[in-house]
Amino acid sequence: MASALKTYGTLIGFILVVVFFWIEIPDTFMTAKNWLNISQQVSMLAVVAFTMTIVMVMGDFDLSVGSMASLAGIVAALAFHDGYGVEIGVALALIIGLAGGLLNGVLVAYVGILPFVATLGTLTIYSGLAFLVSGGKTIFGRDIPPAFSGFARSGIPLSDTVSLPSLTLVAALVLLAVWFVLEQTTFGRRLYAIGGNKEAARLAGIRVKRLRFFAFGLSGLGAATAGLMYASRVASANPTQGSGLMLDAIAAVFLGMTMSDEGEPHVLATLVGVLILGVLGNGLTQMSIDSYVREVLIGSIIVLAVAASSIGKARG
Amino acid sequence: MTLLSIRDLDKSFAGARALSGASLEVRAGEVHALMGENGAGKSTLIKVLAGVVKPDAGGIEIDGAPISIASPADALRLGLRFIHQELSVVPHLSVAENIFLGRDYPRRWRFMIDWEGLNRAAAAVLAGLGVSHINPARKMARLTVGDQMLVKIAAAFQDASIGGGVPARLYVMDEPTAALSAEESQRLFAVIRRLRAHGAGIIYVSHRLDEVMELADRLTVLRDGATVATRDIAGLQKLEVIELMIGRRFAEGYPPRLAPVANEMALSVQHLSTGYLQDVSFEVHKGEILGLAGLEGAGQSEVIRAIVGADGGHDGAISLAGRPVKIDEPVSAWAKGLAFLPRERRQEGLVASASIAGNVSLPHLDDLVRFGLVLDRAAETEQAVGLGRQVKLKAKGPRQKVRELSGGNQQKVVFARVIAGKPEVLLLDEPTRGVDVGARYDIHALLRELTAEGKTVVLASSDLPELVYMADRVIVFRDGKVATTVSTEGLDQAALAALCFGTPTAPSA
Repeated sequence: MASALKTYGTLIGFILVVVFFWIEIPDTFMTAKNWLNISQQVSMLAVVAFTMTIVMVMGDFDLSVGSMASLAGIVAALAFHDGYGVEIGVALALIIGLAGGLLNGVLVAYVGILPFVATLGTLTIYSGLAFLVSGGKTIFGRDIPPAFSGFARSGIPLSDTVSLPSLTLVAALVLLAVWFVLEQTTFGRRLYAIGGNKEAARLAGIRVKRLRFFAFGLSGLGAATAGLMYASRVASANPTQGSGLMLDAIAAVFLGMTMSDEGEPHVLATLVGVLILGVLGNGLTQMSIDSYVREVLIGSIIVLAVAASSIGKARG
Repeated sequence: MTLLSIRDLDKSFAGARALSGASLEVRAGEVHALMGENGAGKSTLIKVLAGVVKPDAGGIEIDGAPISIASPADALRLGLRFIHQELSVVPHLSVAENIFLGRDYPRRWRFMIDWEGLNRAAAAVLAGLGVSHINPARKMARLTVGDQMLVKIAAAFQDASIGGGVPARLYVMDEPTAALSAEESQRLFAVIRRLRAHGAGIIYVSHRLDEVMELADRLTVLRDGATVATRDIAGLQKLEVIELMIGRRFAEGYPPRLAPVANEMALSVQHLSTGYLQDVSFEVHKGEILGLAGLEGAGQSEVIRAIVGADGGHDGAISLAGRPVKIDEPVSAWAKGLAFLPRERRQEGLVASASIAGNVSLPHLDDLVRFGLVLDRAAETEQAVGLGRQVKLKAKGPRQKVRELSGGNQQKVVFARVIAGKPEVLLLDEPTRGVDVGARYDIHALLRELTAEGKTVVLASSDLPELVYMADRVIVFRDGKVATTVSTEGLDQAALAALCFGTPTAPSA
């Protein structure tokens, strides 16, 4: 019983939250349209949380994802502003994301700075760069090509009234890719070994430094992808628009980690974490509850879930 | 007058006996050496005294009154103090603060610390131990390890000098000189003699026989968890001590050689030097088991770690089957057909959160791959099942987590990993440490099979019988250098022990 609660507590909590809103908002909550809406709302957070899972599998963090998302959006928008096409703008943003992530990787793996400190530093650098290159202004309107902003509004029609949003599809593809990398490849297996015991992994012939370097690159790439999704959705880019992503992404991974025996992050568990945050946001908004209350609630849920699973472990 | 009396302690960990009938009696005003091989039970005995380990049976008395030590706080309250090689000091505080840590500092105007008064008090405590060369205002971090240890002892000692707490009556020192220079050791001995003069009892654990003969009044020898003897140092011969420590064991329990050693060279190490090792050279032949012996930290482990590149680069040349190779990280060692079993199973060997199969496959993942990057789980499971059978692993299945296994079975998992890639050379650092008798025999039998197939084994071990009965030759290390190389043909454990201790009276082997 206790161990079931430990493993499934977070999942049960998620179901309770869903049931609560279903009862409180009977007309609109439990509808395909609302769920597709939720999926679109959380898609950017989801992408960041999924790629964050990759570094957290090794026991590391990437605090720079939010400012990297902002920077990537700005870079793409500036490219559009200078007359480059959608493909070029998107490619540039993704390259910046990968490069920024790999820089984190160099600092953590090769220079040997603690991930917390290294990515706190680059968080500030990327954020500063976003302000610097944009002049602190929001880039919007005619600068953003319709083909780019239209993507977030497009979708695959599922029936006459609802369609699967393209952003949701992107998040699903990233989920699939990260799941494949972490759970099906030798790369993923090695990352889990590093997270389990770095020294044993190294002595067993795992190139710990190189893998950490690449994993941070993937996290940066995910952050840039989310930044592009965000810019597309609001048809504009400003240097702070990604800033809320980092804490929510780490929170989602933590919520997911409470579902594993070993306290290891797994990307499907991260998905549950993302959905908890997304459903809470959606439901509370529909109930017209203050967004500050939402923050207090989400914070409490994270603390409760993690506390419950640590208490379970301390006893075990 | 008997200060501390320990009677017939028993303690088992997960079925393995660490203590069985360990007794020790320490008088007030004596330095009592506690000796024994690795695994003889010294650390467990000390942990019982420190309140970290609870004995299964047996009794402890202080001043003839039975007591129980349930926690480190109890030990402190009873006047026991522990000085380890790894000291817990606060490096950025001053010597004086480290001495008076956790106590009320002298004050000025009620709320301001009287730093001068504090330093004076610290100087007085140090002077009471005959230490005058340490400035109490200096930062702890700037002291040598030896001086830090003296400060730590002073901190333990000052309890008595200012009152309030329980006076320290018994000091337990575990290999205190391991990291000290000869001069620092002499200073420490002077302080220990002062403590003895103050009427304290000192339990002194050391591998260094010369030190013990110089410093101690009596010694107690543990073997296989039991006390074998307590003797006065006066009139005692070093060789007697060695014989007490290793006892007389039989060759039974070791599998016989299956095939002779080939004449072909497998591994050659020439002029290997690191920060610690100095100019180590040796060759191993196909089908040979080469033993590496020495006191703890004499260089055996370091040689193995240097060969596989565990600690980065080194000077010197290594060749495999006559071809020079360059190895500066473990991954290249595995790739070149060297397999490595590290000394510390938990810290360096296992990924406890992973399964048996996941631990076995770790260095061999590239052989278990489909389409370039997809892990072939079926093949991984199959590998673990096959090897598990070969090493006689007892487990629920290949996907059981290794943390759930006993120590012996965990070691078999690490061993399965070592042989999974069919390596030409196996570098094993204490492969049977903390392993039960059955698992030990299984591992030894496998070593015989592997060498019969022409594989080569380098075996670092602190278990002398293991070296004498399993190895073909043994290299003895002392202070990072090769002291001597001996054939195990007709070699007796006592002779090998004497070589490790560097005892000049040992018969030459």
